[in-house]
Amino acid sequence: MTALLNIDNYRLDIPTFDGVLKVLDGIDIALEQGDTLGIVGESGCGKTVLARSIMGIGPRNARRVSGHIVFDSTALDELSEADWRRVRGVKISMIFQDPMTYLNPLLTIGRQLFDVITAHYRAQGKPAPAKTDRLARCVRLLEQVQIADTQRVLKSYPHQLSGGMRQRILIAMALAGEPKLLIADEPTTALDVTIQAEILKLLRGLVDRLGLTVVMISHDVGAIAALSRRVAVMYAGTVVEQGTAKSILTRPRHPYTRGLLAALPDIEGDAQPLEAIPGTIPNLINPPSGCRFHPRCPRATAICRQEKPETRSVGADHVVACHHAFD
Amino acid sequence: MSSLATMLSTETGPEAEPLLSARDLTKVFHTGGQDFRAVDGVSLDVKPGKVLGIVGESGSGKSTVARMVMRLIEPSSGQIMFEGENLTAKSGEALRQTRRHMQIVFQNPHSALNPRDTIGSAIAEPFLVQTRIRGAELERRVEALLDIISLPKAFKYRYPHELSGGQKQRVCIARAVALEPRLLVLDEPTSALDVSVQAQILMFLQDLRVRLNLTYLFISHNLAVVRHLCDDVIVMSKGRIVESGSTDAVFKSPREAYTRKLIDSVPRIPRLCV
Repeated sequence: MTALLNIDNYRLDIPTFDGVLKVLDGIDIALEQGDTLGIVGESGCGKTVLARSIMGIGPRNARRVSGHIVFDSTALDELSEADWRRVRGVKISMIFQDPMTYLNPLLTIGRQLFDVITAHYRAQGKPAPAKTDRLARCVRLLEQVQIADTQRVLKSYPHQLSGGMRQRILIAMALAGEPKLLIADEPTTALDVTIQAEILKLLRGLVDRLGLTVVMISHDVGAIAALSRRVAVMYAGTVVEQGTAKSILTRPRHPYTRGLLAALPDIEGDAQPLEAIPGTIPNLINPPSGCRFHPRCPRATAICRQEKPETRSVGADHVVACHHAFD
Repeated sequence: MSSLATMLSTETGPEAEPLLSARDLTKVFHTGGQDFRAVDGVSLDVKPGKVLGIVGESGSGKSTVARMVMRLIEPSSGQIMFEGENLTAKSGEALRQTRRHMQIVFQNPHSALNPRDTIGSAIAEPFLVQTRIRGAELERRVEALLDIISLPKAFKYRYPHELSGGQKQRVCIARAVALEPRLLVLDEPTSALDVSVQAQILMFLQDLRVRLNLTYLFISHNLAVVRHLCDDVIVMSKGRIVESGSTDAVFKSPREAYTRKLIDSVPRIPRLCV
């Protein structure tokens, strides 16, 4: 197995006062170096918990029931906090939904970027280069995310910049440690469509130029389709379907994937009626038996209530977990 | 009758007299010594029985227009006509009387419902404020509204936190249509919801409009949703109208560069081949 990231039968429980949330239920994902994976799903499906677990910043009280997350031949779930400091930000970086929340409003962009660069040297136990070199590195990082007037931006405070600009800066910070893997958790959700298009283009360019591997999390199928070569569809803590974006989006096999795509209004607007998925997402303290989608599934039969469907291959790089998958 | 109104009526026939029309609406906010023109000279007509969409990016002024139309914030200048009456001139009891005919649904259903009130009392509130309906008749009305939004009658005893986002938004819609208004202003009603729930709400709104003979003013930043739901559309940017027309015409052949940029920015999903 030469995959850069390998998640194997990963199960995660989160104890709460009301009971144990079975938040991830046997996740299998493999991702090659330089590839892009979009994880799509609705709120509460576990996509953010999964992303945070890869980064080692999952919920503190979460309990791993089974499985491993292996990155670059290292089992991440067995790292000590000291070991994590040599992985987080250096090998794996993350950007988040709301760029304002992750910047300190009291410090200039230059100061924050400078601190990130300095911290990377400290975490790796290396002597930091001269201050002027680190400042030059700040400028190069901003150029990498296509910010033109670097001097003005370095002197600015976060509130003086637009949402799109702030997201570029967070991407620059994420790239400071030259990571192999970038996790983007809803990177464009808080942004207007025109800005969203620019950020997606920037990420696309980084994948092509730097050979960056990206895991992007989103509920927006359009944004996922714009960036990802491969797609994993999550529902209630399980990956129901996974494969190339083209294959999944043009020929979805799982009833949930179909329902999700049919629920999206089409901007080309050829007046095809919307179809809603009946019901609501299940409570993960007491998830439905068998296939977790069965109570809402138009194709469900007795076996769906009894047995969890095995993930099986239905084409070149296309797997589905369903007893009654479409052909 | 003004010349504009005459022109409209000769063009489209007298039955197309707008239910709501706004002329030259402007809102200036005074912030820290600086004036900010949130809305600048916006005119629009909402035809009865139709859905007019206002689409724009954040800060375009679309929500401010919605709130001015409802008289929730006062326009700095301009005029709003509702059913041929000058709404901007109304105040006090006259305004209160008109309010029952125009209702608004907000973006975030989680903050639009009082967490300490049951769903039943949330839906009953418009009747208490605007009518003399009480007692058994009120109970009957509340249950009928729960029926319209396809929620079980027993939901009237529940509290907002026990409901999902989509269910809460349906409660907000039930409350808004309780007094059978003629105009429903929907300010990003599905933006806080998941796509499968969004589809449920959009289908419900389409069905409800026909059943209750409603007219919608639909505010959204989501171009695909506007395309799907609206007969006519107004594109706003920086407080001004950039372009307006029938939804099909605007989306198929936008005249303005800004509209085209907006439409082209929406990522396309490869078509389903089923």
